[in-house]
Amino acid sequence: TTIIGVTYNGGVVLGADSRTSTGMYVANRASDKITQLTDNVYVCRSGSAADSQIVSDYVRYFLHQHTIQLGQPATVKVAANLTRLLSYNNKDRLQTGMIIGGWDKYEGGKIYGIPPGGTVLEQPFAIGGSGSSYLYGFFDQAWKEGMTQEEAEKLVVTAVSLAIARDGASGGVVRTVTINKDGATRKFYSGDSLQLWHEELEPVNSLLDVVFASSPVPMVS
Amino acid sequence: MSRGSGGGYDRHITIFSPEGRLFQVEYAFKAVKAAGITSIGVRGKDSVCVVTQKKVPDKLLDQTSVSHLFPITKYLGLLATGMTADARTLVQQARNEAAEFRFKYGYEMPVDVLSKWIADKSQVYTQHAYMRPLGVVAMILGIDEEKGPQLFKCDPAGHFFGHKATSAGSKEQEAINFLEKKMKNDPAFSYEETVQTAISALQSVLQEDFKASEIEVGVVKKEDPIFRVLTTEEIDEHLTAISERD
Repeated sequence: TTIIGVTYNGGVVLGADSRTSTGMYVANRASDKITQLTDNVYVCRSGSAADSQIVSDYVRYFLHQHTIQLGQPATVKVAANLTRLLSYNNKDRLQTGMIIGGWDKYEGGKIYGIPPGGTVLEQPFAIGGSGSSYLYGFFDQAWKEGMTQEEAEKLVVTAVSLAIARDGASGGVVRTVTINKDGATRKFYSGDSLQLWHEELEPVNSLLDVVFASSPVPMVS
Repeated sequence: MSRGSGGGYDRHITIFSPEGRLFQVEYAFKAVKAAGITSIGVRGKDSVCVVTQKKVPDKLLDQTSVSHLFPITKYLGLLATGMTADARTLVQQARNEAAEFRFKYGYEMPVDVLSKWIADKSQVYTQHAYMRPLGVVAMILGIDEEKGPQLFKCDPAGHFFGHKATSAGSKEQEAINFLEKKMKNDPAFSYEETVQTAISALQSVLQEDFKASEIEVGVVKKEDPIFRVLTTEEIDEHLTAISERD
């Protein structure tokens, strides 16, 4: 998995790849790892899909109750704190790393990283999942304070595609969610639209197309 | 010692009188009317609207803290007529139940399910000695995914019924008479007609023209099924439309 959260001037951009694997087997090549918690808060999930799903389901449940009692949208900080409580109190039983991102009227766009164990870290940007190991240097170089929405979205898509190129456990498509005062917007980048990095191969036809082609076509030229 | 027709049964717990009545439950209905407030609910073709009076009993009270309209979830609204203090415990429990329903089953609690849950709770209060019925009539409104706009009324006895239009409180009967005429042969009201029918029903039974700040209006629409409480500006627009229509 590769998950990313980045703050920019006015909001946040969350990004994720779409590969769910059980060992070597790709169980789902188009998963959605960016989950909605409220209108204005989303979470990027990594680790065990089952564990992170149930944690985010509980957080959504608590946030809905909180929102209705408060009579106004919950803050990103509250979402992060609920996630932390569940991660910390059940640390022996959970394998989850999450990145919470969202926008609220008090603090604007915020990113909180919640690694396994249940620490909360308010960060200008956060990266997570197996693919993040390949991205630390890139973010040290490429992340800038006060980016525009376009710059932040481009950074996130580039970063996820870089991680997909190197990390065997990341792949498929890139999904992003941009959250600011106007709400949340989802974007989708198909695998064959992503930039090819060092030594990456051009996309080839499906093996079925090759096998059933009328004349023999070499798979590698 | 003379005890009157009550025979003393009503002083104790919720036990049937020899005439087959439950006095405590009847008194709960009286308590709803005693609050001196009338509420109206009207169901349109693709919207539901509830209206109630907003009486601020004390000039020093903060207007914004007086309300009978409660959001239960983003999509379900509840209008309480009667004792607001009783209503709040009911609302708190309903909110928890609706949130738990969403969490457990993965979809929003339907209007009829919430209404039945509230009615069943009220029914239990008529059986236990250590409890008393709630002095509240609750109108629940929302959009059902399959059945469309829904309006339910739950009373202290534990009855719950879906309505095309209904009323609760001190002028309940007068309002129902008015609404029965208006709802004849399924008028299939638009949103504006729904809200304005509800408001004018209240105007008619109270025999007065009130200001926007003197009523509360709650609505749900089919196209965006979120429960909303109208602002005084929005209410004013409807009041103007009604006075221009008449």
